[in-house]
Amino acid sequence: MFTKFLRIILTFLFIVNISTKLVLADSNYVLPYPSFMPGTTYYRLHILWETIMKYWYFGSFAQFKYNLKLSDKYLVEAKTLFEYKQYLLGYKALEKSDLYFSKTHLFLKRAKEEKKNTGHLQDLLRQAALKHTEVLESVSSNIPPDFVWISEKSSPTVLNLEKSIKNSIQIRKKII
Amino acid sequence: MKKYLVVVYILLILLFTAFSYLFVDPNFSYLKSIYTSFSFTHRNFTTILYVIFIFLFFLFYLIFLKLAQIKYLVYRQLRFIILTISILLLFSYSSVLSYDIFNYIATAKVTYFYKENPYIVMPIEFTNDPSFTFVRAANKISLYGPVWLVLSGIPFYMGFNNPVLMLFTFKALNVAFYLLTIVLIWKISKNLISVSFFALNPLVIIEILLNSHNDTVMIFLALFSFYCLIKNKTKLSILFLILSILIKYATVFLIPVYVYALIKNKEKKNINKDRFFYYSFISMFILFLLSPIREEMYSWYAVWFIAFASFLITKKYIYYFVVFLSIGLLLGYVPYMYTGLYTSSIILLKYIIIILSPLIYTVYYFLFVKKSVLAKGL
Repeated sequence: MFTKFLRIILTFLFIVNISTKLVLADSNYVLPYPSFMPGTTYYRLHILWETIMKYWYFGSFAQFKYNLKLSDKYLVEAKTLFEYKQYLLGYKALEKSDLYFSKTHLFLKRAKEEKKNTGHLQDLLRQAALKHTEVLESVSSNIPPDFVWISEKSSPTVLNLEKSIKNSIQIRKKII
Repeated sequence: MKKYLVVVYILLILLFTAFSYLFVDPNFSYLKSIYTSFSFTHRNFTTILYVIFIFLFFLFYLIFLKLAQIKYLVYRQLRFIILTISILLLFSYSSVLSYDIFNYIATAKVTYFYKENPYIVMPIEFTNDPSFTFVRAANKISLYGPVWLVLSGIPFYMGFNNPVLMLFTFKALNVAFYLLTIVLIWKISKNLISVSFFALNPLVIIEILLNSHNDTVMIFLALFSFYCLIKNKTKLSILFLILSILIKYATVFLIPVYVYALIKNKEKKNINKDRFFYYSFISMFILFLLSPIREEMYSWYAVWFIAFASFLITKKYIYYFVVFLSIGLLLGYVPYMYTGLYTSSIILLKYIIIILSPLIYTVYYFLFVKKSVLAKGL
């Protein structure tokens, strides 16, 4: 009787332990709310503002923050656009997110060369990479592998969405 | 007699300069050799000494003001006193009652040494830099305006990245602006009482010359803007008001007064200086009263309105109200100094002390002074 009870307790503890580990595997990193979407009145102004801000964020730490912030922003934009089946726009937003994410690493490298302690930013980037991967994996299950975008006045574009998302995940996994 | 008075006053300042070194921060490892921990281990004695110093400073202040009123204090002597105390306190330890000078240095280091934007990157992010260990606001982005940031480049480069040297170069910048403000008050008022009222006020001396707050830089630029306006140099005046606002933003509250003066100027009417400084005083005093909404009522904020009050020496109520409020503000440090705690009850006690002395004076004024003036009038 006692052994049976002990087994139940141990099994319960094992399950709790495993589930805690699973929860801990998720990143606590918080992504921003979706910002202005392409096609809205202020989108172009927003893009202009981003370009100006590039010069405001001077310094390797600040540039790291700028690029990570934009990478987050465009990832959220891509996710939202994919959810609304705006695959071409989502695809372009994801490309932008990848580009900014790749740049973060360059500025961390520069900061290291400037003898700045980058430990806390590396942790932040790792957390961000985990969160981005989580989001990208959830997106990949809800979109078609390929999509042909037929524009009104130009030739159709084949979007290899599955490959694009895999590539994005790969970029993030290099950091993890 | 007057000569002895000046000598004793200067000796008192010298003693106060020595007293300031009892407050050397234990985390400021660069001055480890002179760190005594006295102010931390003998809190009651240190507090008593501080209170004695404050009362003596105010006693001398009132005597000097009286001497200036009866024209017994001449320009040359006042200049000697101001220059001597400026030089002596330039060598005092800067963070007796506040640690803001370390924030100025940290912000300048983030900008000029690490070449990072201090409005984005906080000093705490440079985890391997030991010179940030004693910065109290290391977890904040720059609190000051871009003009201050540009100006702070001068003492930063003159300090050769040496934390001890930078304490003095930053202080020298504030001392220079303290002297410039005094020159401007003299140029505008041509009155030694006005000059003494600002320059010898113990709160101004302690907060600017000892604690090295940058408020005098902002006030100098605002006063210079008004000076240009009086001289009909409108464009230059606007430029200096903007520069002043971009030091610490507080002088943005002067814009309504400034616009009023600008309109008068355009109408080719003479600016009523008294009214102009009175409104400026009221604006800055209101801002001072509102400061707890943002953070807390810090005593160095009083410099904002003391500078304008120095032009209102004929208004007796304001004159003595500012003196008594200055006493209250400086005594407001006592609860923290005595207990070493900064709890809500200590902050409450601080506010009670601050309010008490101007309140007593106000009651006295309306019960006795105003009544006797009215009685004489009748």
